[in-house]
Amino acid sequence: MTALDLSADRPARKHSLALSIGLALVGLNVAVAILTLFWTPYDPLNASGGRLEAPSLLHWVGTDRLGRDYLTQIMIGARTALIVGTGAVAIGASIGVTLGILAAFATRLLDDVMAATLDILIAFPTLLLAMLVVAASDSASLWSAILALGLAISAIVARLTRILAKRVLRQDYIIASRTSGTSWPGVVVRHVLPNIWPTLSVNFALQFGLAVIAEASLSYLGLGAPPPNASWGRLLQEAQGTVYTAPVGAIAPGIALVALVIGMNLLADGLRDVGDPTRGRSR
Amino acid sequence: MSALLSVQGLTVSTGGKTLVSDLSFSIGAGERMGLIGESGSGKSMTAMAVTGLLPGNISVSGSIILDCQEVVGADDRHLNRLRGVATAVVFQEPLTALDPLMKIGKQIAEPVRRRLAREQGRAMRLAVDREVLDLLDKVALPQPERIANAYPHEVSGGQRQRVAIAMALACRPKLLIADEPTTALDVTTQAEILRLLDGLVRETGMALLFISHDLPVVAQVVERVMVLRDGIALEEGAVADVFGNPSHDYTQTLVDAARVFDEALGRTGS
Repeated sequence: MTALDLSADRPARKHSLALSIGLALVGLNVAVAILTLFWTPYDPLNASGGRLEAPSLLHWVGTDRLGRDYLTQIMIGARTALIVGTGAVAIGASIGVTLGILAAFATRLLDDVMAATLDILIAFPTLLLAMLVVAASDSASLWSAILALGLAISAIVARLTRILAKRVLRQDYIIASRTSGTSWPGVVVRHVLPNIWPTLSVNFALQFGLAVIAEASLSYLGLGAPPPNASWGRLLQEAQGTVYTAPVGAIAPGIALVALVIGMNLLADGLRDVGDPTRGRSR
Repeated sequence: MSALLSVQGLTVSTGGKTLVSDLSFSIGAGERMGLIGESGSGKSMTAMAVTGLLPGNISVSGSIILDCQEVVGADDRHLNRLRGVATAVVFQEPLTALDPLMKIGKQIAEPVRRRLAREQGRAMRLAVDREVLDLLDKVALPQPERIANAYPHEVSGGQRQRVAIAMALACRPKLLIADEPTTALDVTTQAEILRLLDGLVRETGMALLFISHDLPVVAQVVERVMVLRDGIALEEGAVADVFGNPSHDYTQTLVDAARVFDEALGRTGS
């Protein structure tokens, strides 16, 4: 008798160029972030050279006005960016997907109330919300920034999940599954989540990029990670005063930021193609 | 013995509009019955009411006793135990009745696993997989292993409907509800699916509620038929009586229409 492998993975699909580049950019960022846990070129907090040195073999991206190595700080900034992106999307996804699924099942009135609330939340500027949360907490910290961005993302994710789940719940296969005795929680886990995942995952990747930018903005305004944690936003802000004498200090964190966000967007694009087995067939 | 399904005074309405009014019929164990009528006559509403799956904004009154249990007004947890054990449904559109992102084998495995767990207390993966292949074989699908590993969009429409039937059979229901199972298929595939359904119903001894607007199709597979129009039952009886000697004008029109169509087909020689 042949054992049947029902759980086998899908056959490898031809990956798009977008996915490859996206994976490379994000992968590089992750690798650098992990590396900083064990090793950095110099001590990020203490001077290791002269002030505002130009790029050299010793300091590839030069030094800041306190003589600290820029490359080291940008590398640690990558870690901060990843923590913020991952944390915010994790919070946003867990709250958002739960709320969205609940809204899809809710009665008409409750659903309308939730939809309206979400629209108001989404209309509220993310940065303003984040600044309020950070201001309300005792001190500016990375975690209050992550929480604030996560909440903003959860509203967007909830609205998307609600629409997607409603569409899936109208499908015949949901009724077919119900007639064979599947409970509602079973239907959600087996049919609704897998069917909305391709679209959701793309949105998560996009939100990740937006969260990274938002954190940089907060740090630029002095509301993000407090000084010992390097953040690209704060590096940009510090380099602002010396942008004419040492432009590298402003350009380098900017490039790192753009590379991660573009990488995430390309990854989102590529993910969409991989997530859907019906893609790629002739239509 | 009491009937497997007994519907008494079933009325389905939504927003002040009555979709089915005062409908009564019963189906005994192993009996095959047809519900016939044009679109919007309340056929599918009746079927969904039997499974207790009508949306919340549609109100149902009357009584539906399925396998000795009242369906109308029963809570969902209660109904879940009934669904799949007492009834299973085959739908009209075979593409949308299957989850596009789940392999066919996996979709059939779920009801099988639930049934084995219910009957034997546990479901071994090997036993489930064997049963899935058995079912695919039973509905005459070639290369069951290949089909089990395929996604719904990778097989043909007729094959998808066979898969949907296999899913319904996986529950070993006492009553199979077939809601226009051949309407979306081409004529040759229709005939094959009908033969398959007919054979399976006879072999397993389950009851069949067959819903269709197509007289010749209904006449092929059921013993008794009920004609519905605008949610009202016009007449009911053995297939030969109702179609051979219709007592209601509407039924006569249906029979005439089918005959004219048959003759037209005969003239073109197909």
